[in-house]
Amino acid sequence: MPPLPLQSDWAFVVGNLDLLLVGTGVTVALTAASILLGFLLGFPAGAVEVYGRGPLKRAVETAGVVLRGTPLLVIIILLFFGLSVSSSAFVTATIALGLRSAAYQSQIFRGALQSVDEGQLEAARAVGMGRLQAIRSVVVPQALRRSVPGFQNEFTIVLKDTSIAIVIGLGELLTVGQNLYQGGRSTAALEIFLTVSLIYFVLTFVTNRSLDYVDDHFSIPGGERA
Amino acid sequence: MTDPLLELDDVYKSYGEEQVLSGVSFEMDAGDVDVVIGPSGSGKSTMLRCVNRLTEINDGDIYLDGDCVTDPDTDVNELRKQVGMVFQDFNLFAHLTALGNVTLGLRKVRGMDKEAARERGYEHLEQVGLLDQADSYPAELSGGQKQRVGIARALAMDPKLLLFDEPTSALDPELVGEVVEVMRDLAAEGITMLVVSHEMGFARSAASDIIFLDDGRIVEHGPPKQLFENPQAARTGEFLSRLETTHEGE
Repeated sequence: MPPLPLQSDWAFVVGNLDLLLVGTGVTVALTAASILLGFLLGFPAGAVEVYGRGPLKRAVETAGVVLRGTPLLVIIILLFFGLSVSSSAFVTATIALGLRSAAYQSQIFRGALQSVDEGQLEAARAVGMGRLQAIRSVVVPQALRRSVPGFQNEFTIVLKDTSIAIVIGLGELLTVGQNLYQGGRSTAALEIFLTVSLIYFVLTFVTNRSLDYVDDHFSIPGGERA
Repeated sequence: MTDPLLELDDVYKSYGEEQVLSGVSFEMDAGDVDVVIGPSGSGKSTMLRCVNRLTEINDGDIYLDGDCVTDPDTDVNELRKQVGMVFQDFNLFAHLTALGNVTLGLRKVRGMDKEAARERGYEHLEQVGLLDQADSYPAELSGGQKQRVGIARALAMDPKLLLFDEPTSALDPELVGEVVEVMRDLAAEGITMLVVSHEMGFARSAASDIIFLDDGRIVEHGPPKQLFENPQAARTGEFLSRLETTHEGE
């Protein structure tokens, strides 16, 4: 009996799993780098929106509005082909995803900082702490806990949106899948892209569960969940 | 003659058009316990907040131990190290244990190392009868316990003056007693306290002076016996009798 086409197509996927895993590695690295860049820029940006004033605050707000109002696909094409910020597709994708994520993370942290009761800052000031010290020691630790659910959401979005790096030829998961299919070596489009989808799902699932754990671990006893 | 510990000299404060304090003056000596009473909106809390400059005054002067605290050059953080505050809504640091609440200021403001701060923290929690709750978080404590932690937090900084902003107003009636008891102990120890409160039992038994504030002005200021038994101003009498009826059964 000849092998079923279905079987042979899955065999093709299994045979190329090592390539898909390399692509998965790139996706994970790109996600981590983008989230990190987004945090490093987004957290201070959120703080400036809450506590800052003057031109700095306006500049940060404007940058956020522009970044949130531009499709990620446009940002990444603009950075790579328009501005050629880097010859490295990975670096360009990190900047694009990181900037966009910073714009959204700033709003997560802004909301979290604003949700901490005014009395907390006042009590810290009344003990004799300076404004910055009070924000750092009393408001920020509480705000970070409250930002976990929003951050969880953002993490998932960035992870999936790394697939957009396909347009600048970065060898992340989707690009690897596409290459396997377009190389003409197989017609197993459904099998390949189902596998790619499954990998994305596993990654987001694991990430969400890990952040659930962080949420539980850092929640304040007797009080709100983190 | 030594300086009074706290002196308010013709203090004015307004929020826009609304005049909140209109020429408030009084003095208190070290060891005094002054209780401020007055109708809602009379400026009691504002007056208290002006002393540690959580609120800035528009005119007049406030002196602490001879130093002008309302001078623009005064370092507010240095001032606040010397003036503890207990809040109506407790304002305990939600992410820290009872001990953490008491020690944060010691470590960040006084620069104490962790061990020394802990030791001092335990002492003050013991003082308010909460040594066994040192590791509890604010959300795990009753209102009365929260306020006692709030008092321990203020005390730990070893302030020259303790401000109490309606410390029992947010408490269920059955929890008021434990907080008042702690305040009574502090008064007996000679801690200088400026207290905004309508706990008449405390005012009668622990206060050196009662200050009756109405519409941003001190209407009457004197020892509790005089104010309660023989008020000089008609408004004081009216207010006190209204208070007696609403607080009946206390």
